[in-house]
Amino acid sequence: MQPKSGEACAHRWALVNHRGGFLVVEGCFHCRSRISFFSEEPVPPVDDYREGDHFWSHLGSFQASKFDLRCEPCGAEVKLRDVTALMLCMKCNPECGVYKAGEGPGSRGTWVYAALCANTSHAGGACVSAEGIRALNEYFNQDLHDPSKKIVIVPCRERQSVDTCEGVVLADVGLTDLY
Amino acid sequence: MNVTELAAKAGLKVFNAATDREIRGVYISDMVSDIIGVGEGLLLITLQTHKNLIAAANLVDVAGIVFSRGKTPAEDVVALANKAGIPLLGFEGDTWTLAKKLYEIGVR
Repeated sequence: MQPKSGEACAHRWALVNHRGGFLVVEGCFHCRSRISFFSEEPVPPVDDYREGDHFWSHLGSFQASKFDLRCEPCGAEVKLRDVTALMLCMKCNPECGVYKAGEGPGSRGTWVYAALCANTSHAGGACVSAEGIRALNEYFNQDLHDPSKKIVIVPCRERQSVDTCEGVVLADVGLTDLY
Repeated sequence: MNVTELAAKAGLKVFNAATDREIRGVYISDMVSDIIGVGEGLLLITLQTHKNLIAAANLVDVAGIVFSRGKTPAEDVVALANKAGIPLLGFEGDTWTLAKKLYEIGVR
């Protein structure tokens, strides 16, 4: 139902603008930073290139998808441009902020996913927007069958180390292992 | 129809003992990136036995997963599905044959 004028909407999100592409990961051999981006080209780019002090090399490409969220009652739309993929936390490091997001009283049945942004190394400090994180949490919890289950989405800047993280990225790896 | 009832009627192999729940529909896909957009309570039919599939299926809250063409999930995949309470089933035939079978027994 559409909220009355001036009334805050209890959003009911729908997934919109769902589009396929590739999650492309690049690394700078000079400073060891890593970046990723979403490519909607039929064949993802693999070329090395220089950008300022960085020398970016292709590390891998995986089929992935991007989407936005739109509230059905009020029509508000949250563009998730800064989300390149979601990753399930496998609870490998108790010191990691993503792990900690799933701990605490009543945490049984809690599953933590990190929303991965483009700048894996977070050199510039930016990550997925608070608005995007809030909408993702609301969307993935609004229809859960089991009331004791909870999905928690956190920005990837909470992750302690990209090098040792054992998280499972929701992208299509292993497709060539089908047969 | 519930997952347990379906497994019995369709003669599906059962890989784990997980939460039995009602099937609200069926979705067929072999791409994790495609599954992210589906609704809650669906039965997912796939060839994929990778752990990412379980991570995505848990996020969208599927009722269960059927691996067609005799695909068998690895132990770590079954363990993750157990933790998530997702029933894992298997079918020896191809996906089209399974789709027809599901329709015939009333899963629509």
